[in-house]
Amino acid sequence: MFPKRFVLKRLLLLVPVLIGVATLVFSILHLSPGDPALTIAGERASQEFVERIRADLGLNDPIWVQYVDFLGNVVRFDFGESYVINRNTTVREIMANTLPVTLELALYGQLFGILFGIPLGVLSAVKQDTLTDHTTRVGALAGISVPIFWSGPLLILLFAQVLGVLPTSGRISSTFSVSPIRVTGMVTIDTLLAGEWDMFKSAVRHMLLPSLVIGVYSMALISRMMRSSMLEVVRQDYMRTARAKGQGAKITVLKHGFRNALIPVVTIIGIQFGGLLGGAVLTETVFAIGGIGTLLVEAIEVGDYPIVQGTVLTFAFLFTLVNLVVDITYSYLDPRIQQ
Amino acid sequence: MSTETLTDDEGGTASRGLVDRVRASPFLSQLLSNRLALAGLAIIVAMLVIAVYARLTLDLDVISRSQLGTNPNRAAPSLEYPFGTDGQARALVPRVAYGAWYAMLFGTVTVGASTVLGVGLGIIAAYYGDITDNVIMRTMDVLLAFPSLLLALALVSIFPDELGLWRAVAALTLVYTPRFARVVRGAALTVLENEYIDATVALGATDPRVLVRHVLPNCLAPITVQSTLNFGLAIIDLAALSFLGFGASAGTPSWGLMLSNGVSQGLLTGVWWWSFFPGLFLALTVLGFNLLGDGMRDALDPRMREAVD
Repeated sequence: MFPKRFVLKRLLLLVPVLIGVATLVFSILHLSPGDPALTIAGERASQEFVERIRADLGLNDPIWVQYVDFLGNVVRFDFGESYVINRNTTVREIMANTLPVTLELALYGQLFGILFGIPLGVLSAVKQDTLTDHTTRVGALAGISVPIFWSGPLLILLFAQVLGVLPTSGRISSTFSVSPIRVTGMVTIDTLLAGEWDMFKSAVRHMLLPSLVIGVYSMALISRMMRSSMLEVVRQDYMRTARAKGQGAKITVLKHGFRNALIPVVTIIGIQFGGLLGGAVLTETVFAIGGIGTLLVEAIEVGDYPIVQGTVLTFAFLFTLVNLVVDITYSYLDPRIQQ
Repeated sequence: MSTETLTDDEGGTASRGLVDRVRASPFLSQLLSNRLALAGLAIIVAMLVIAVYARLTLDLDVISRSQLGTNPNRAAPSLEYPFGTDGQARALVPRVAYGAWYAMLFGTVTVGASTVLGVGLGIIAAYYGDITDNVIMRTMDVLLAFPSLLLALALVSIFPDELGLWRAVAALTLVYTPRFARVVRGAALTVLENEYIDATVALGATDPRVLVRHVLPNCLAPITVQSTLNFGLAIIDLAALSFLGFGASAGTPSWGLMLSNGVSQGLLTGVWWWSFFPGLFLALTVLGFNLLGDGMRDALDPRMREAVD
């Protein structure tokens, strides 16, 4: 049965959090030093010109009027136009181009983490306290200890510079002058949809190192969670019952153990999605990928407030949304949660 | 560890010797028998020694200044320059060593400040409940709704550039505070259910006294674990902010800044040592804290104790 009441409750609880998130972003930008009107007009602009821009931006209104306007804009997902980086272009448009890039990176990282993290966690739990287990655990701890901005450059130096087998930066080889038709904005998917086999291969090759670097982190977290959850489930009574009924050890572990142990892992996948988004900022910087992360860093540097607002809010909404989906999935998998 | 010793421990331990006390404490004896946790502790101590030694013997001005003319420029690691030299002919060994001081100092301040703030808020929320609890915890929820590095990036922009690494410290303190508040609130709620709290209140103890003398000491274990695990995160995040250009000011020997230099200038020319050595020290330090924190968490979890028996 689909937990309708639970979902509704969670959605309602989300409203104050989202208002809080918007309020915090509004305050941060109003506390930031620097005059947006001056940023747009440039240092040498006349005083009148700056004043006119200030009036246009509504900066002369009382703070609460600005706040209400801001909330209204957030609801309509309208963050205005970029001040500096891409003048006369709406933030929405800029983000429509960059967000898929970041999401693509995060998704591949997540995929990598799940594909390798879950089997490693199970292996570690099944072989508890053996050399395999110890190696996996230390490896997982090392995985969350190694910063992306170290593993990234080292992998680039090894694979691209020394071995010369993989590209170092960007999303696709520059030999392809025409870009594929834009459907999702994710280059590996768009090239595949267009049937451009060579372009697809190039895009995948560009994606390998970044997804590896970003995925190691989620792999480490997922395998740790999978291991401890598996160890807990193995001690449950129903496992003993299944064995007592004469079911083989392997089948019991897979049929009863694995499926139940996956439930908490779903949560960790949601929680570490935030880390994945933060990791995307660093990965994009290392691999020179023009996603929303590099956009945010540049926007903060030059004081392009509409972009900072738009990107930070979008990230927070995305993160909240993912956690909502995770909560709902969790309650679906384990109906006891709904109580 | 049998249950007898466990209950034994609740009695006065003041008169016993240190060894006995360690043995009687299930937490410490479990922790000390965990070789990985000890390895983590060893790494941390080694880094601390390097940090203090660098702070006492090296002149920050000298190692921040360009050494062109004195040292070879961009020299690969050799016997004379074990970690090589950078693009301004500065030897990397003293810079990487001084980076340990930066990491430890700023990491300690970040974790210390967010612990104090988070513990205070968490205990107050748990004790007063109702509106106080709601206001505090819903605010924490808002802060937790952001991916942590992104919130830190947004917060950093509030503070003026001149603050250098201190603005990263301020931003990260705000980012970490909710994590402590959540953990401590949970722990404090459990402690508050104990009868000795009711007894203390009945004896006329004031609120601050109950909180500081009775609730806080009984929440110390989860606080310590959370601090240790966050120490590793703080060191990585401080370096990440410097790496992205929102932390240490140019020239200062912070690991994040050295790594940023390694990517922006060393990568295309194949100068691997600019990234390799600072990153190695950074990763080792973080690993040390994660190993220790992980061991502490296991030692705190009674289920893990059962598993060892």
